[in-house]
Amino acid sequence: MSLSLNRDRVHPFAWWAWSILLAISLFISSDPWYATSLLLASALVVIRFRGDEPWSNSFSMALRFIAVILIIRMMIAILIGVPIPGATLFTLPTLPLPDWIAGIRIGGPVTSERLLSTLGEVMIIVGVVALFGAATSLASPHRSIRALPFSFYQLGLILTVATSIFPQLVASIKRIRVARRLRGQSAGGIRNWRKIAMPLLEDTLERSLDLSAAMESRGFGQRIKRTSYRPDSWGVLESSILASALLSGLLATISAGNSLAMGISGVLAGISVLLPLSEKNRSNQSSGSHLVGAQS
Amino acid sequence: MISFRKVSLIYPNSMTTVFDDVTLEVGEGEFVLLIGATGMGKSSALKLMNGLVPHHTGGILGGDIQVGGISTATVRPGELAHLIGIVGQNPINGFVTDIVEEEIAFAMESLAIDESVMRKRVEEVLDLLALTPLRRRTIASLSGGEQQRVAIAAALVMNPRILLLDEPTSALDPVAAEEVLAILQRIVHDLGVTVVIAEHRLERVIHYAERIIYIASDGTVQVGTPQDVMRNAEIAPPIVELARALGWEEIPLSVRDARRISAKETKDVGVGEPSPADIAVKAREQVVEVKRASLGYSAQEVINEITCSISSGEIVALMGRNGSGKSTLLKSLAGLVEVIRGEIKVCGKDPRGLSGSDLIELIGYIPQEPSDLLYGESVEEECALADHDNQLKAGTTLTLAQRLLPEINPKTHPRDLSEGQRLILVLAIVLTTSPKLLILDEPTRGLDYQSKERLISILRERAGSHSSAVLLATHDVELVAELAERVLFIADGELVSDGDVREVLTASLPFAPQISKIFAPSKWLTVREVVDALGR
Repeated sequence: MSLSLNRDRVHPFAWWAWSILLAISLFISSDPWYATSLLLASALVVIRFRGDEPWSNSFSMALRFIAVILIIRMMIAILIGVPIPGATLFTLPTLPLPDWIAGIRIGGPVTSERLLSTLGEVMIIVGVVALFGAATSLASPHRSIRALPFSFYQLGLILTVATSIFPQLVASIKRIRVARRLRGQSAGGIRNWRKIAMPLLEDTLERSLDLSAAMESRGFGQRIKRTSYRPDSWGVLESSILASALLSGLLATISAGNSLAMGISGVLAGISVLLPLSEKNRSNQSSGSHLVGAQS
Repeated sequence: MISFRKVSLIYPNSMTTVFDDVTLEVGEGEFVLLIGATGMGKSSALKLMNGLVPHHTGGILGGDIQVGGISTATVRPGELAHLIGIVGQNPINGFVTDIVEEEIAFAMESLAIDESVMRKRVEEVLDLLALTPLRRRTIASLSGGEQQRVAIAAALVMNPRILLLDEPTSALDPVAAEEVLAILQRIVHDLGVTVVIAEHRLERVIHYAERIIYIASDGTVQVGTPQDVMRNAEIAPPIVELARALGWEEIPLSVRDARRISAKETKDVGVGEPSPADIAVKAREQVVEVKRASLGYSAQEVINEITCSISSGEIVALMGRNGSGKSTLLKSLAGLVEVIRGEIKVCGKDPRGLSGSDLIELIGYIPQEPSDLLYGESVEEECALADHDNQLKAGTTLTLAQRLLPEINPKTHPRDLSEGQRLILVLAIVLTTSPKLLILDEPTRGLDYQSKERLISILRERAGSHSSAVLLATHDVELVAELAERVLFIADGELVSDGDVREVLTASLPFAPQISKIFAPSKWLTVREVVDALGR
C-alpha cells in the first residue's frame, strides 16, 4: 500500500478524531500561540484536502464566524471591562454608572495589556471553531452518519432527512424572495415574512414527503440489519492523522508557555499536509482503480 | 405482471373518486404509456402499482391490485422494492445520499444485500446507463438529464421486473430526453423489464409504446394499442393530429410511417413550400437590448458575450440544451443576475436598477415554478393582493383572471388548481400591469395539450393587441413551432443562432418539430399550415 492520501476515502471519523483531540489539548494548554498555530494548520489541511462537495465550504463559513467573534469580543474589550493598568493606547470618554456596579466601567483608558489579554482569551475559542470547521468541511456528513453503529441508525435517518432539507430550504427561501421581487414587492416587513413562511413550509413538507416515499419504495427499513456499500476502513493513513494530533497535543500540554514548542506542535498537527494526494481518485474517471483503493 | 381488478380509489378529505371500477392488465416485458389530461390521476395510477397509494398517502382502495402475484393491499411498498422500481416526477427530491454511486447502492443496502454482490450490480448499472464517468460526482453537480439517469439506475439496480416512471422527460431537452428513452427501450428489449411511463409530451414517447393506458377526462380508462387509442383520444401528438385532419386511414406513430403515408396520400397534390412569412409592417420599437454581455454567478461566467435584441410585438423563443445558460439570460433581463461585462437594457433602462412597481410595469416574469408567485389563500385574495401591489382599482386582476380562466371559482385555494390553471392565474396577475416585456421560463412543463392551447392564445393576444415583447425559454419544440417568430439558440453560454423560427428549427435534427421531419426538405412546421396549404 502506498502512503498517499485518497481524500475521498479517508474515514470520516479520522478528521473528527483529529479535530476533537486537538481541541481538547488546546483547552488544556490554553496557549494563544498554540491556538494561532492550530488555526493555520487547519487552514492548510483544508486547503490541501477538501473536495468540491456542498459541505466543503463550511471552513470558510467558520472563518467568517471567527471574524465576527473577534470583532465583537474586541469591541467589548475596548468599551467595557475591568481596568487593567498598563500602557494606555487611547482614552474613551467614561460613561457614569451607579455605584453598586463598581469594578465595571464603560469607556475610559484602553491599555494594550487589556487588549492583549482579551485577544489571548478569544484565540482559544477561535482555534476550536477553526478545528471544527475543518472537520465538517473534510468529512461528508452522510458518510459520518453511515459509519455510526447500528443502534444510532434511526438517529442517522433523521439527520439524513434534515441535512438534505437544509440546503433545499435555503434554495427555497432564495426562490421565494426572488418571486416577491418579481411581483413588485419590496423585501422585508413582518407581513411579507409571514407570507413567505407558508409556501416555504409547504415546499419543505412536500419535499420531505417525496423523500420519505422514495426511501420507502426503495426498501428502507425492511431489514434490521443493513449492509454497507464500500464501507469505510481504518488504515495506516487514518492512524497517522490521529497520531499527528496525539503528538501535537501531548507536546502542547507538557510545554505550555514555551512559544517555540507551540510552533512545533502546530506543525505536527498539520503534518498530514505533506502526504501526497493519490491522483487517480481525483479524476473521477477510473472504474477499477478505486476499488483497489478502497480495499487497501 | 400488473393487474387491476375493479379498482376504485378515493383520497382522504376528497368527495370524488380518482378511479372508478378500473380493470386492466399489463403483461411481462411490455413498454406501456400512461396518458391523460393533468389531474386525471396518472401519478396516482403509478403509485397504486407499487403500493405507495394508499399505504403512504392514505385513501380508500376498492378492488384488487396484483403485482407479480402479490396483492399490493397486503404488503408495504418496501416489500415490493425488489420487484418494482419507481422514479418520481422530481428525482432530485428522492435522492438520499450525495454521491452517485452511493445513491445507486442505497436500496441494496436497505435490503442487506452482500457487499460483493452490491459492487457487481453497481458496476453493471453504471455501464448500462453510461454513468461510469460520473460515479464519484456529487448529485447536486449533475445536469437534469444526468440526474434522471441516476434515478433510473438507482431503481434498476435491484433488478426489478417492473419499472415505473412519472414524466421522465418533462424537464429534459430533446437530446437528453431521447437518450433516456432509448435506454428505457433497451431495458425492455434486453432485460424484459416491464416499463410503465406517464408522459405529457406524446411526440417524444409514442413511437416507443407498445400499449397505451388512456385516462379520458370523464374518468374512463381505455387500454389498447397506440393505433387504436390514438384514433379518437382527446390528447394527440402533432403527427396524429395531421393524420386525423387529412383523414388518413392509417394513423402513423413515427415520422417514418408518416413520411411513407404522406408520400402515398399527397402524391398528386404535393404539399409544396411554405410561402415566405408576411413581413410585419407595424412599427416596432426595441424593447430588449443586450450588448456583448457576459453574465454569471460569483465571477463564474455562464453566458459569454451575447449580443441580441427583441422588439415590441415579437414572440421569441430561447432554446438550447439543459445547462446552456437559458435561465441565466432570462433572469438577467429581470435584473436577477450579475452582469460581468457588457450591458443589458430593457426599454433603455438597466433592469438591475428597477424595483417595485417600476419593475413590474416594464417586465413581467413567470419563473419555472409559477406557484412561487402565489401565496394568497384563495384566487380572490391573490387577485386582491395583486391589485393592492400594483395600485390598481379593486377587481381589475380578478376580471382579467376570469376572462382567461372562465371556469375558475374565485374561492378556490391556488394549490387546488391544476398545473395549467395555476400558470394562467399567475399570467393574469403578471399581465394586469401590461408589462412591455413578458418573460416565461419553461412554461409548458407538466402542461397538457388543452392548457398549452390556452397559453398560446393568451401570448399571441399579448404580442398582437398589446404589442408586448414575449420571450420564452423552452424545450418544447412543438410549442415553439406553433408560437414563436424568432428563435435564439444558445449552446454553452454562447449564442449559436438567431433567426427566423422556420430556418432555425428545420436546420437542427433534434430540435425539429414532427411536421417538419415528415415534410423535409420542405420547411413546414405545424399541422395547421399543412392543412391550410392542402386546402382541406
